[in-house]
Amino acid sequence: MFDILSVIFKYVFVIIIYLFIFTIIRMIYLDIKTIGSTTGDLKAYLKVLNPLDSIPYKMEDTYVLEDELTVGRSSDNSIVIRDPYVSKHHLKISLDESNYFIEDLKSSNGTMLNGNKLEDVSLLKTGDIIKAGDIELMFIHKG
Amino acid sequence: MGSSISKIPIRLLFIFEILSLSLIFMYRWDNLDFNTFATGIGLILLVYFSNSVLRRISSGDHYIFLIVSMMFSIGLIMIFRISSDLGVKQLLWLLIGIGVFFLSYFTIKKIDVWDKMITLYLGVAYGLFAMTFILGSRLRGAINWVNIGGVSFQPAEVTKIALIFFLAAYYFNLEKYSKNKYSEWIVMGIVYSYIGLLFLQRDLGTALIFFGIYTGLQYIYCSGRRYELANLSLAVLGGTLGYVLFDHVKVRVTTWINPWPYINDKGYQITQSLFAIAEGSYFGTGLGRGNPAFIPLSYNDFIFSSISEEMGVFTGIGIIMLFVLLVYRGFKIALLQNHKFYRIVALGISLMFGLQAFIIIGGAIKVIPLTGLTLPFISYGGSSIVSSFLALGILQGASEKVVKEDEYNE
Amino acid sequence: MNRESKRIITLFISLCAGFILLIGYLSYFQIFKAEAIRDNQYNKRLWIDEEQVLRGSIIDRDGEVLVYSQEKNSQVERIYKYDYLYSHIIGYSTREYGKSGLEKNFNSYLINANRNTAINEVINLINPVGVGNNLELTIQNDLQKKSRELLKGKKGSIIAMDPKTGEILSMISLPDFNVNTLKDNWGEISEDTNSPLINRGIQGLYTPGSTFKMVTALSSLKYHEDENIYNCEGTLEVDGYIFKDFNSTGHGSIGLKEAFSKSCNTYFASLSLELGHDRVKEMAESLFFNRRIPFDLDTSISRFPEREVGKTDVAASGIGQGRIVASPLNMLLITSAIANDGEMMKPYIVQRVISPQGRDVEVFGNEVLGNISSQVDISLMQEMMKDVINNGTGNNARIRNVQVAGKTGTAENASGKNHAWFVGFAPYDDPKVAVVVILEEEGSSGGSSAAPIARDIMIYALNNIKFRR
Repeated sequence: MFDILSVIFKYVFVIIIYLFIFTIIRMIYLDIKTIGSTTGDLKAYLKVLNPLDSIPYKMEDTYVLEDELTVGRSSDNSIVIRDPYVSKHHLKISLDESNYFIEDLKSSNGTMLNGNKLEDVSLLKTGDIIKAGDIELMFIHKG
Repeated sequence: MGSSISKIPIRLLFIFEILSLSLIFMYRWDNLDFNTFATGIGLILLVYFSNSVLRRISSGDHYIFLIVSMMFSIGLIMIFRISSDLGVKQLLWLLIGIGVFFLSYFTIKKIDVWDKMITLYLGVAYGLFAMTFILGSRLRGAINWVNIGGVSFQPAEVTKIALIFFLAAYYFNLEKYSKNKYSEWIVMGIVYSYIGLLFLQRDLGTALIFFGIYTGLQYIYCSGRRYELANLSLAVLGGTLGYVLFDHVKVRVTTWINPWPYINDKGYQITQSLFAIAEGSYFGTGLGRGNPAFIPLSYNDFIFSSISEEMGVFTGIGIIMLFVLLVYRGFKIALLQNHKFYRIVALGISLMFGLQAFIIIGGAIKVIPLTGLTLPFISYGGSSIVSSFLALGILQGASEKVVKEDEYNE
Repeated sequence: MNRESKRIITLFISLCAGFILLIGYLSYFQIFKAEAIRDNQYNKRLWIDEEQVLRGSIIDRDGEVLVYSQEKNSQVERIYKYDYLYSHIIGYSTREYGKSGLEKNFNSYLINANRNTAINEVINLINPVGVGNNLELTIQNDLQKKSRELLKGKKGSIIAMDPKTGEILSMISLPDFNVNTLKDNWGEISEDTNSPLINRGIQGLYTPGSTFKMVTALSSLKYHEDENIYNCEGTLEVDGYIFKDFNSTGHGSIGLKEAFSKSCNTYFASLSLELGHDRVKEMAESLFFNRRIPFDLDTSISRFPEREVGKTDVAASGIGQGRIVASPLNMLLITSAIANDGEMMKPYIVQRVISPQGRDVEVFGNEVLGNISSQVDISLMQEMMKDVINNGTGNNARIRNVQVAGKTGTAENASGKNHAWFVGFAPYDDPKVAVVVILEEEGSSGGSSAAPIARDIMIYALNNIKFRR
């Protein structure tokens, strides 16, 4: 019994280790792509990390950040996410003296910043990952 | 439930740990004791807490610790399979190591005078060498272990980091030091004095790492062909001299070129390693089904061969790729870091990890002559684990923007 | 990008190159080298595997069991039914002194160690092996016994093979040793100056003497140097060295055919000079001199001088003297190729690997190594070799009602007495068996001592062997 399991598991282990490696490569690749691809005019923008074809509603690949930007389910937001777990007005990103700050608009399911629940207004740094509902956005700022 | 890509690696890591630990428990079913069981649970908790704590407190790089978590999980499971006593001890070392990681991470962040203490780094290095020679004991032909109060450790593991800080402090303050015409020669002299001392201790692997770190940093930061040429000629000269003068160097080269005639004596280690890797084939024999006990130092210098035997060359290649990723992140951290001192430190540490992995894996598979070294984060051993985590903590610290006076930036 | 960033990236790329080298070498190692290393005798894992496996049996071409394993008191025991008869072919398998012969070269079959594929692994898990594969040889046990009887008391080797298929029918090398008492007598056996551990048939290298004239003759036929008539006076002086015929009386005016059947040294020495070193060497190398013969057992390489070092040497080469050495198997292979109308078959000794359930795991044989010469030249060679038996030095190999062809050889040996050679095949019109006999330091001529032995072997083989075709 042990022998059989051990033999089966050895293939599983190789698969897991390689999946691990490739996920990390993919994450790093997304990192570089967002930093490298849109050089030039864009100073600050948000990049959608979910594969666009996996989202059942329409979203852009990147959203340019100006002075202020809101995210939510209702159509008057700058970024519209038609996800039931996203509140009508979910979060806000605003510019203050060349720094961007993020603020949760008392959404029912909350906003995650780098995996932690956002409680207060926070300073955004390049590479930060914002999550609302199922959607993950990466913040990029070229200073 | 949406699964975010950033959670996939840690989940994979957990699946890997749970499956491999259950297999180990089955393997040791007949004499499964509390320690074995606790170690398994300990590993999972350790990985979980350290990763989530780090995520909370560090705004820097999120990858390096994750990559290292995978490495030490593979290593611990292999060590655990070879001997459950060593496995328990290794887990303890990992706990201490991760503690040291957080400690060094905070220290590097909070203290800001690292670039000004060049003499301290010199003193530490020579002090450690002196200690090795006075208190050191000879183990497997090399005098590189010191025993203090029942705990033995390898001072050279710390000296490596002192060397990196020394070089970083020097190149960071290059303008100041280069007022002295001979400064570059003096630095070269100091580095070669380290290498010479390591040669005397017969610690060839570490000597190679010192040389590699110095050559790499010199290539980036020292403008002046003649210094690089001088370094390379010194290396060639030193290598030749070492080959002629020291028998232990000659043995390494002979058994590298063809170990088979010496299969029963000086070629024993390398041939046993090759047998293990050959036996493992692509996917390995399966955990608990191979004979890593035939390999000398199977849980230490030759852990790569043990892993290849039971988990296959594909896992071996996976480990190499993990090191590539770690080194890549280290270099990326250096490129993003705008404080030159921390940039050099990040480069030095990444180089150190990369070189050390290359030298011992290359030695175990006979691509290069075999020199005794541990595989960072994977091999069994207190000094190796603790010093590797110390260096990783520094790297983690360097991955965060250090806001400093802008005068140093370009 | 500034210089610093550029250099950082260059440094990273060179580190990556190092790691790619490691991955590349690991893959290369696993694909090309791992198997040989795994089967190295010093790999302790093999013993672990082997101790759990009942090593396969080895049977002769008619199904007679020669070696088998049995379990006794939960200990695996290897039973060699013949003490001496197969000491060189099958060899031994001991933990202390390693392995030899087929026990060594077919070890992975005998212990069924096909651990490479995933499917095999799963099969092994569900149904633990326990029993290895069996080997079926091309050897015929009775002919093997007969060969040993005929050679008894002498040093040397006899090999018989089927020239049309490459099957080795028997192979004896004396002195040999007792495999069943090997462990007790190891010191004695391994230090014996007569080297009983050496399989003389394939590992012994001897001056081929006149049997090499087959090669010189083939070369002269190829380059049309065969029409010369030469006046043989019994001796020939080349650069101060005198070549003598066996009886030094002289054959008078003589052509290639007669020179071959009478084994005229002066004719072939001068023929070799006319051809030149390179042409003879070219022919010799096409016949596996300076190359390893692919075979189931470990063979030595026959040597023809790489470079010419003077006329005496070239003349000596033509008659198989000087610096040439050949393995008996090599001379047999040349003879067989001539018998088989120029087609050289790969020699083999294991014809089938059979699983414990009786299925064929692998079947060997009928591999062609190449064509050695043109049809016309081969027919002439065959006729010349027939003439050796009918009108020349080989008349002791004559068999009633069966036409034999062959060549004798009496090789001068710097270190002692002459080696006696005979190579030949029969029947002439439909060759079924080819034979080589070498009697080491026998001191008499090939025609008088080796030819009669070869004759008996051929008679026995033709009467007793069930040929496959």
